[in-house]
Amino acid sequence: MTPAAEGHLLLLGWNFRAAGLPVRERVAFTADEVREGLRSILGRGLLSEGVIVSTCHRSEIYGLVGEEGAGEGLTKFVSEWRNLPAAELARASFHRAGADAARHLFRVAAGLDSMALGESEVLGQVRQALRLARETGSTRSVLHRLFESAVAAGKRVRAETEIARHPLSIPSIGFELAEKVFGDIPERTVLVLGAGESGAAFARHAAEAGVKDLRIANRTREKADALALRVGGRAVPWEDIARELPAADVVVGTSASPEPVVRKPDVEAAMRQRRGRPMFFLDLAVPRDVEPSVAGIYNVFAYELNDLETVAEENRVRRAREVPRAEAILEEELTRFLAWFRNLAVVPTLTDLRRRLEEVRDAELDRLPEAEREPFRRAADAMLSRLLREPTRRLKAETDPARKLDRVEAIRHLFDLDRGQR
Amino acid sequence: MEPPFLGSFAVLLYAGAEALSIRSLVKERQRGLAPLLLAAGLVLHYADLHLRAAALHSVPYRTLSGSMSLFGWMLGIAYLLLLFRHRERAVGPFLIPFVILSTAMGLLLPTGGSPSGPETRGALFAFHVTLAILAYAAFTISFVLSLLYLIQNRQIRRAKTGVLFARLPALEVIGRMNRTSVTIGIAVLAVSVLLGALWARRVWEGLADAKVGWAMTTLFLYGFLLWMDRRGWEGRRVALLSIVGFGVVLFSYTFVNLYFSAEHTFR
Repeated sequence: MTPAAEGHLLLLGWNFRAAGLPVRERVAFTADEVREGLRSILGRGLLSEGVIVSTCHRSEIYGLVGEEGAGEGLTKFVSEWRNLPAAELARASFHRAGADAARHLFRVAAGLDSMALGESEVLGQVRQALRLARETGSTRSVLHRLFESAVAAGKRVRAETEIARHPLSIPSIGFELAEKVFGDIPERTVLVLGAGESGAAFARHAAEAGVKDLRIANRTREKADALALRVGGRAVPWEDIARELPAADVVVGTSASPEPVVRKPDVEAAMRQRRGRPMFFLDLAVPRDVEPSVAGIYNVFAYELNDLETVAEENRVRRAREVPRAEAILEEELTRFLAWFRNLAVVPTLTDLRRRLEEVRDAELDRLPEAEREPFRRAADAMLSRLLREPTRRLKAETDPARKLDRVEAIRHLFDLDRGQR
Repeated sequence: MEPPFLGSFAVLLYAGAEALSIRSLVKERQRGLAPLLLAAGLVLHYADLHLRAAALHSVPYRTLSGSMSLFGWMLGIAYLLLLFRHRERAVGPFLIPFVILSTAMGLLLPTGGSPSGPETRGALFAFHVTLAILAYAAFTISFVLSLLYLIQNRQIRRAKTGVLFARLPALEVIGRMNRTSVTIGIAVLAVSVLLGALWARRVWEGLADAKVGWAMTTLFLYGFLLWMDRRGWEGRRVALLSIVGFGVVLFSYTFVNLYFSAEHTFR
């Protein structure tokens, strides 16, 4: 890959594609475990910089090593640490090196590697990984720059393409539709029927959307109370659903009731009381919570799970269409990072530094009359060589790649050697 | 006759505003530029109207050309006011074409007018006609909003969440904007009819005229629309009613003008 660089990037990972749940569970790390792991890895000299990204779908160890082929011991270390047979661990893992390792991280940050294409949570997880590594002191110039570049690239992809724009989850699609009916969801009253898993998902979504008047009805009152307490809503008695309808703009059916709990006459009465203001029903319950004939009432919008799943499928396609554009953006950002990384080597840096100093020398000599320049040039050259001798020796003698790259990066920064590169 | 230079330039600016607002509908960028172009067009258009008025010594409504141009200008003003009030730009691409169309017609139709008779002089009469044109502009906006309502309603019901779905305002927002424009239309038309009646008492014997009848029908229809909007017809039915109302407006602006009302047109 980058022959001029003094270090090599590598990646060892387990994700939902290659590794089954049993392995992934064992290599999923908590924040404390990440810190502990990084300390041991660096302590044993397996890597000279390291960051661990751990989410529910992936665990990935990014590292910087001095020479290619180093980091072999990483799998062995993880197998001992997590108490898993090394062979099994190796089978479920995947490896990347150099530019491919960087590209993988960029893809992860942009959500291209996620199960839900373009999801945004992963960006925070990548940022969190960098934060943990910095706290542990396991990052220096290279991985720090790599991760910051990846986060920036991920943000750019989400801002410049539509990959994160079309909702995929059923609650967000439902609320997107309701938003286009009412316009101001937070000011509306949302009634959730059922406090089970999907009722809770909807209630949470409503609360996150800023809905101020959120009501929850459940056959077992205690469950409604508990959910209402969790999401900041209000529990209403199951028997009062018909009485709650006139106030409800959005009604979400998720209960396990064997027969419909929202009947046509009740909705008709509610609509009269509402003076025809629209009502919005999402029925996700099987069997139905809302009588199908309700959909025929004037100004009633009614959907069932199927409708929303169709939208989710369309949105998945819309997001997938954006992948080529997202990849083009990532390649652009990757090229920029790699150019920086490639320059981060002792020989080109010393060449650049010498050129910079010679520029200064020539600028000064130009101010003298031409006849007088030669002796000054000789003196300046001698001084230049003397000045560069010690830094050159020290840089070349440095054995720890991370520290070496740190120093190269410091020189490049202090003498502004990357000027004109971007 | 003055070369219609200002007017043509205004139409160009309107066309630019239209192009930009379509672009911002698709791309959601540089959204402030289209209203700015529109406003600049309106200023030029006003200068054009002013020149015409100076030549005629009266508000230029007496010819079809003049009143079309005035109508286009009022429509643009009304849209800007609506934009200001509701902060909703997505309506622009659908409305600005009407501004372009009527302004361009005002340029293309012959501008020669007959000398003004005593019946058509004075501030009272000027207000009567100007307000009537403003009312028709408001009803035109209501018509466009109603079409958008029907389109958006259809997309929501079929769960079609494409570009238009994303960019068009929520149904309630369109409904609210519609309510604003109809209310303004009714109020302004009512005042216009009243002024007209006062004026007619001075120059005519009676008020039995087809155009007055149609204006009353228009008033009644939009009044009914507003009433039913609060009585359970909010939504699709109100949109349909507004489209019918616009049909009546068009009818009284064209057919009644041309064939049924001999006295009430001044050409």
